[in-house]
Amino acid sequence: MKEKHRSNRTAGECPTPEHTLHRRMFLKGLAGAGAISVGSFAGLFSTPAFAEQAKKEQKHCILLWLTGAPSQFETWDPKPGTLSGGPFKAMGTNVPGVQISSLMPKCASIMDKLAVVRSMSTKPSEHAQGINLLNRGAEPRNPFVRPVLGSVLAQQLGHLDSAIPNFILLDPCPEGNEFKGFKAGNLAGWLGAEYGPVRAGGSYGIPDIQRLADMTTTDQNDREALRQFMVKKYENDHKSAAASSQNAAFERVKGLMSCASLFDINKLSEADRAKYGPGTFGIHSLLARNLVENGAPFVMVANGMPWDCHILNHETHQMLVPELDRVIFHLINDLEERGLLEKTLVVAMGEFGRSPWMNASHGREHYPNAWSLAMSGCGIKRGVVVGKTDPEGYGPIEKPFNEKNLFATIFTALGIDPYAEYDLPNMPTFHRVEDNAPAIKEILA
Amino acid sequence: MKAEQAKTIKLPSTVLGFDVSADASHLYAACMDGGIYQIDAKTGEFESLFRHDSYASGVSVVPESSLIISSGYDGVLQWYDLATKKQIRKINAHQFWSWQSAVSSDGKFFASVTGQYLAGGLKYEPASETEPSVKVFDAQTGDTVHEFSHVPSVQAVAFSPDNQYVAAGNLMGETRVWELSTGKQLAACQTQSFTSWGIIKVHAYQGGVYSLVFSPDSESVIACGMGQMRDPNTGNGKQTWQRFAWRQKGAPKIAEIKSSEAGGGHPEALAFHPGKEFFVMSGRLAQGKWNTGFFDNKTGALIHSLDCKARITKVRFNSEGTQMFLAGGTGQPKAKDGKYDPFGRIFTYNIA
Repeated sequence: MKEKHRSNRTAGECPTPEHTLHRRMFLKGLAGAGAISVGSFAGLFSTPAFAEQAKKEQKHCILLWLTGAPSQFETWDPKPGTLSGGPFKAMGTNVPGVQISSLMPKCASIMDKLAVVRSMSTKPSEHAQGINLLNRGAEPRNPFVRPVLGSVLAQQLGHLDSAIPNFILLDPCPEGNEFKGFKAGNLAGWLGAEYGPVRAGGSYGIPDIQRLADMTTTDQNDREALRQFMVKKYENDHKSAAASSQNAAFERVKGLMSCASLFDINKLSEADRAKYGPGTFGIHSLLARNLVENGAPFVMVANGMPWDCHILNHETHQMLVPELDRVIFHLINDLEERGLLEKTLVVAMGEFGRSPWMNASHGREHYPNAWSLAMSGCGIKRGVVVGKTDPEGYGPIEKPFNEKNLFATIFTALGIDPYAEYDLPNMPTFHRVEDNAPAIKEILA
Repeated sequence: MKAEQAKTIKLPSTVLGFDVSADASHLYAACMDGGIYQIDAKTGEFESLFRHDSYASGVSVVPESSLIISSGYDGVLQWYDLATKKQIRKINAHQFWSWQSAVSSDGKFFASVTGQYLAGGLKYEPASETEPSVKVFDAQTGDTVHEFSHVPSVQAVAFSPDNQYVAAGNLMGETRVWELSTGKQLAACQTQSFTSWGIIKVHAYQGGVYSLVFSPDSESVIACGMGQMRDPNTGNGKQTWQRFAWRQKGAPKIAEIKSSEAGGGHPEALAFHPGKEFFVMSGRLAQGKWNTGFFDNKTGALIHSLDCKARITKVRFNSEGTQMFLAGGTGQPKAKDGKYDPFGRIFTYNIA
């Protein structure tokens, strides 16, 4: 059955200018705005009964976005005793016969809750193309801009009544080379600005979001009503996409104001910080847990582009992988303890893998031919490893999967029709997943 | 001076640790494939003596004995008797890698340094050590003589020529010096020049001190590594050495490479020429003209340079100073039919 989404954009139209509006500037510009202090999901809805029902049905996704591309050899697909394997050993897991890198002892202990794909095989070998491909699920077809996973899930899983943003990008490192360019781009694509991300974290913290003490709530509401009226009038008079985007951004800011405490790392408990921290990626993964617990449909956690180890690959992975190991372990266990794992899909991946060979700088190069990712939670079978690479890790020798297979898997796991057609006037036909690419059935529950 | 390349020896994988026998007839290499190799210096023929369970990171010929001692990323130290061709001791020295190891010139002490860099704060400041980062052993018996504390990761170690002191340098650019007779820490040479906090890609620390050498009079210590970078993953920081008067209060920096003489790249090796008039820094070249620089001991000026087109991890001289050995490797080639062409290299130069 076709499921259609109507866009208010036309073919060939320039991307929304939303991406040019720096959200931090928005937030700072709203320093005088008021805030309702809300720290719980129920408080984000006007009707408690609806809130409870929405909370019960809400599905979520946390994407641990490992920008730069982690090495599969030092994570999910170790090759002990080979020259491509590197210096770290492999270790057994609680799934008989399955080994992962010895840098991941905590994940080894919960392997029965994870699904690992060891035979991802994609085309782009450069970051910009890889990041876009693995976030959008299809090759670009200019000038049409396919929405990223977060935007699709925001549209499919989000609630308009919810004040909590539907697509949150926790992004403590605002830089990131090609990833910086990606973040500044048009992420929501043809879905429109209302499905774009709200960025927070690190220097994108939201310290200026409290209502000034000398402004009453009434004053604030009056000002907001006036702003809305004027922007809407401008939007109608000039058919302005920019004005529309601005309104969408303000709506998101209003949401942020009401749940600002969920973004405040200073409000995290010491016990939780000790589990996930102390590094900023772990701390923001903890924020992701809290945001999901409070109703956020999609949270993406990134941290610059740290995995791009063209030099000193092992010296960098010795630090990054143990942090990732700890984050995945606690995130999965915490979601399970809270009864959230069944309806929260967790995905940990980068834009490709790293080469079996070491360059002269003791680094590994980009390698899309054969790489690994891990998933857990909603709709995902647990304790499975699918796909296999050859002894030195040069290529898949069993069940290669690409980005379309991955996106079909993610959508299916979350109960979303992977093959629904977008209803885009004056545009070519696009589907959520093109070419009817099958999901990776081996890891679907 | 002249440095003329005389020979290139190929080994199966990159050489991470290297030493030369007293008469320079044999070379010893610790390699990325875990092997400890003995190489005939004249013919280049080599044999594998024994192995580590991970990368072999160091090998030292123990003076006045028939022993070699190796270290590895498996955290293990191995004693091997060349006379009997038997392993005589194996010690699990560290929970993490032995990054580097060294033997004192009198053959009494052997030191190995370790430490895993783990996030210790929101900005990825290194966490405190979970085991002693510097260990000193009796080179003959294998007994532990000292365990010293440092901040991980500790990546470089060297003994003073007078055999009274040992120095160890870390990721954060701090070199500590201890007195071997008392175990007392005498100095901490601090510099931020070798350590990058990644602004562009990785909000974490990279780099640090990669090699150390004491001056011939043991009065100063020289450290080398990559200069600071906004993006450490590019590996193109300035080739840098700095010299510290470690005995003076505050262990001040008293000399460093002239910026105009440095290219970009990753120096990993330092050695003094036996004649004591110059020292050599070598490594991997990213941009510039040389990967191996010869520096005047008095002025610090670059007096000669060469580029051997490889990553160099160790520099050694024969005792007369007429031969220089550069050990390291090229990039690992892609496998052909499951096999790799050799990518370990030892370059021999005649020095005049």
